[in-house]
Amino acid sequence: MEFSRIFSSSLIYATIRSATPVIYAALCASVTQQANILNIGTEGIMLVGAFTAVTVSFFTGSWIFGVLAAMIAGLLMALIIAVGHIRYNAEITAIGIGMNMFAIAITKFLLKALLGKSGSFSEPGIVGIPKIHFSFLEAHEGLNAIFNDWSITEVFMIILIAAMSFFLYKTVWGLRLRAVGRFPMAAQTSGIGVNALRYQALAISGLIGGLAGAHLSLGYSRMFTENMTNGRGFMGVAAMFFGGADPLLTAAGCLVFGFADSVGSRLQAYGVPAQFVLLMPYVVTVFVLSLSMAMKISRDRRKKSSLFSLSGKGVSAESAAV
Amino acid sequence: MSEYAFEMKDIVKDFGEVHAVKDGCFSLGKGEIHSLIGENGTGKSTMMKLLYGIYDLTSGEILIGGENPGKLTPKKSISLGIGMVHQEFMLVDELTVLENIILGFEPRNGLLIDFPQARKEVRRFIDQYGLDVQLDKRVNQISVGEAQRVEIIKVLMRGADTIILDEPTAVLTPQETEGLFRILRNIKADGKSIVFISHKLNEVMTISDRISVMRQGRHIGTVEKERTTKEDLATMMIGREVLMNIRTAETSPGEPVLRIEELWTSGEKEMSKIRGVSFEIRSGEILGVAGVDGNGQSELVEAITGLRPVERGSVFLEGRDISRLSPGKKRKAGLAHIPENRNTRGLNRSFSIMENLISSQLDERFSRHHIVDTAAADAYSADLAEAYDIRPRDPRMSTSSLSGGNAQKVVVAREVSVGSKVLIASQPTRGVDIGAIESIRNTLEDVKRRGAAILLVSADLEEILSLSDRIIVMHEGRITGELDKKSANETDLGILMMGGKRTYE
Amino acid sequence: MNNPLGKNFALLEAGRRLFYILLLSLAVGALFILLIKENPLRSYVALFRGAFRGKLNFGNTLANFTPLMLTALAFAVGAKGGAFNVGVEGEVFLGGLVAAYIGIHWTFLPKILHLAACFLGAMAAAALWALIPGLLKAYYRVSEVCSTILLNYVAYNITSYFVTGPMSAGVANAQSLPVADQVRLHQFLRPSSANVGIVVAALVTLATIWLLRKTTFGFKIRAIGTNPLHAEYVGINPKTMLVKAMVLSGVLGGIAGAVEILGVHGYYLDNFAAGVGFNGMLVSLIVKNNLILVPVMAFILGALKSGALGLQQATDVPKSIVDTITAIFIIVGTMEGLFQVSRKKRNKKSEA
Repeated sequence: MEFSRIFSSSLIYATIRSATPVIYAALCASVTQQANILNIGTEGIMLVGAFTAVTVSFFTGSWIFGVLAAMIAGLLMALIIAVGHIRYNAEITAIGIGMNMFAIAITKFLLKALLGKSGSFSEPGIVGIPKIHFSFLEAHEGLNAIFNDWSITEVFMIILIAAMSFFLYKTVWGLRLRAVGRFPMAAQTSGIGVNALRYQALAISGLIGGLAGAHLSLGYSRMFTENMTNGRGFMGVAAMFFGGADPLLTAAGCLVFGFADSVGSRLQAYGVPAQFVLLMPYVVTVFVLSLSMAMKISRDRRKKSSLFSLSGKGVSAESAAV
Repeated sequence: MSEYAFEMKDIVKDFGEVHAVKDGCFSLGKGEIHSLIGENGTGKSTMMKLLYGIYDLTSGEILIGGENPGKLTPKKSISLGIGMVHQEFMLVDELTVLENIILGFEPRNGLLIDFPQARKEVRRFIDQYGLDVQLDKRVNQISVGEAQRVEIIKVLMRGADTIILDEPTAVLTPQETEGLFRILRNIKADGKSIVFISHKLNEVMTISDRISVMRQGRHIGTVEKERTTKEDLATMMIGREVLMNIRTAETSPGEPVLRIEELWTSGEKEMSKIRGVSFEIRSGEILGVAGVDGNGQSELVEAITGLRPVERGSVFLEGRDISRLSPGKKRKAGLAHIPENRNTRGLNRSFSIMENLISSQLDERFSRHHIVDTAAADAYSADLAEAYDIRPRDPRMSTSSLSGGNAQKVVVAREVSVGSKVLIASQPTRGVDIGAIESIRNTLEDVKRRGAAILLVSADLEEILSLSDRIIVMHEGRITGELDKKSANETDLGILMMGGKRTYE
Repeated sequence: MNNPLGKNFALLEAGRRLFYILLLSLAVGALFILLIKENPLRSYVALFRGAFRGKLNFGNTLANFTPLMLTALAFAVGAKGGAFNVGVEGEVFLGGLVAAYIGIHWTFLPKILHLAACFLGAMAAAALWALIPGLLKAYYRVSEVCSTILLNYVAYNITSYFVTGPMSAGVANAQSLPVADQVRLHQFLRPSSANVGIVVAALVTLATIWLLRKTTFGFKIRAIGTNPLHAEYVGINPKTMLVKAMVLSGVLGGIAGAVEILGVHGYYLDNFAAGVGFNGMLVSLIVKNNLILVPVMAFILGALKSGALGLQQATDVPKSIVDTITAIFIIVGTMEGLFQVSRKKRNKKSEA
């Protein structure tokens, strides 16, 4: 087996390519997590988005309509979660799981009822998300492999990460959202509409989740398959955990998954059984998640330990001044 | 314009079947400091939370500035000039002091937060009222007293001219309390009105213009400070002559039972890390631990009882090193523990009274071949319910709806009835009614008389002073001094609580 | 543990709520059916007939009910201990695989021992599998929801590898050789797949209820599930108990896998348990992990599942409508505030 064939420069793009759907999912989960809502429904939002995107693209012949419709569908899914959780006290994990089951069932149902198919739907009439091609890059093999022919949603993913970081950490809205997530009573007594912010977080999460699905079915591929998200939503949630809901760290975590996925699919050419290739990203995700949690625990332990001091002199000096 | 900042009449507030306020009535004159006093759980805080719009009224009338404001929300109350400093600080630990102060009222620059402008505005209040705070520290790095000043700035910044302080002195040393009073007088001199919620009569008599008393959800009366006495107020609060009947036990302490040697343990905050604490408690002795909340008392208790790992040093029980045992093994070794929080630690609120009473001795005493011995458990818990006057008497009832006092009695009954050699009692009477306080303190005295060694941690100096044989004071995870029962007084304790190095001869 | 009257009242209340939610879900389902221009009433009649009319249909309802009850129980046990174990599905797959392997190869054993070995092997494999997320949650605070879902994919792929590779029967379908006849569970109501596994499931259910309610082990599981801080304080180790709860959950999932393989299929079939674990979780979630109501709900869901086939045959409504209705059922069911006496809602508020 030749390592240079597996670890070539095209692996970089392959990694980004397989990571992008998960990154979108992770951003979908991160924005609600900032409001302390664990969006287990990410997977379902994404699946419904994927189905809607394909269907609308097929019927209208426009990928833009497909993407917009997917975002609206995601929004609706998220709003059901929001109303259930915020207004009617639904336990967030339970309703999230319920939404995922609903997504699998309803897409199966509509696939049969609207498109007359079961299993999968793949027609030439589905208009995919275009790729951006720079002809000047063709001359350079390495750069061409890495930077050329990104789909629009892959580029937008990078913009979205930057935008989310900006909104969370620099704006009034972000400060309020973080306050709501960490101590809702403090926000409430400061006159902030806590539930309004929770609704907003879930709504944005729905839009992103819908987009994630649209990218999966129109950008990453150009078809719909039953349960095509295949756990990507949950990988996104896992990535959110190890990135601490910070958009940039979370996205970086997803690259690990993308890497495992793309190395795996190359190994298949060398006779590694398909099942082992398929299970690799899941194993890697669980492993990295556990590792990051273990590291977080040891970091916390160190921070709290009496044998270490964070700001040794500052602490005693300031309280002496009280 | 009304002469009152606000008026509340015929207030009723139910939480499900619990009637928190049955007949509330309160009015605040402009420019006055009006205290609202009463025992724990008599509806003082609920009254003010209704005014602040955190709860919705069940029935009654609220007028602000002489007018009916309609449905209140915190946002609306703030806009009507009402500010509240809550008993539990409403500060987000992970954010900076400055971010916390401006939260909800951020000066903007487009979408962005205008931090320079924010800083300028906050400075003005810091200078005007002498409210010293460090703006760039995170809240989890500042002391309780400073956090309280942050809360006051928050309220002032939002343009409040009516300020409600809910039990503000519960977390302060006597000296810090004096500092707070100076600030409050400054604020009053500025023409603002203040509601001061407390149950400490000395403080109320110092700071108030008028005083209103609540008992069991009802307004009992409102008096001018000049025309009342502490004794009258106490009688109004309790509804009878207050003679706390504690049968203090004069015992001569015996052999050392619990010995702590150079103990180090982790802390939730930098200043609550325990760094080198040593002491011993003898049989038949109560050792009081005084200190401002958050100076390591909780961590000390957890380390001794096995709920927090000991990082360095040792805990000896009758000479046996138990430092590294699990909580269960420590119990078997003879340690009992009344924890500071009965809702998260002390009780399982979804279990019945009986299940809560037997849970610590399940395997040893209430199981037969791994099956719960229900008959023994029922008999045992019926006895305890009787002996400790737990109401309702039926041990099969759930603990979910027990009042604070009865819930605490369940905890005390479970811990004390085992007959352990050492009892660690942390805030044993926090948030319970006076009847329960009396009974719990008497129980502690009984345990002492029985010859057990007791570590009593309490934020209530009066409790520490009245029960302890010796007192140690903690500040930032260290012991700053030890006082003898006879010579201890509040002033000296206060100095030590702030880290002062005065040692008592 | 309130007085018996209160207990019955609560059960009645839960039943009433369940009924309303069922009605609402059926109503939403009817809307979907209308959407594809079919008659909801006719469809529901077809659904009912598909579940209960005739030996075949009723037998299949029972056959569906059996594993659902076990997987619902598996989820509920985890939930009682405070773990949201979405990994029952993976436990069923691995349990089934090991049961099939032992069923095929260990023919040197006499019947009873052979059967016992199949079940014990399945239980052990599934328990070990559940141990992983249990340990990760207890010692590294890894969200068990995440880890169990991801591990389901791993479990499925492992079994799929074996049944297409080393254990393959070499026929067109991905399946193993048949297990020895002596370990097949007796079938009845033929040609349905109902089998005596239902008796196993009933006994296991009773044993589990007894375990959780009467033993110190059950007491401790309930203690850590409702308040781990308190449990730790009275001397129960929440970490080891959580792991034990997960292992017990695994054992139950493994039994479900063995029953399916030995009772229904007779050989290992790739992806044989798709949805069995998830649907069991739904059963348990809908009844809020109430062990008495689990069998009732498992039966209803089992009936819906077998009725779905009849529905698809008799009308043009795809059978996935049943999954849709079930999902709506669970979504509405999680909304505590809905169909609740207003008193409870206000109580909730006052805690805030």
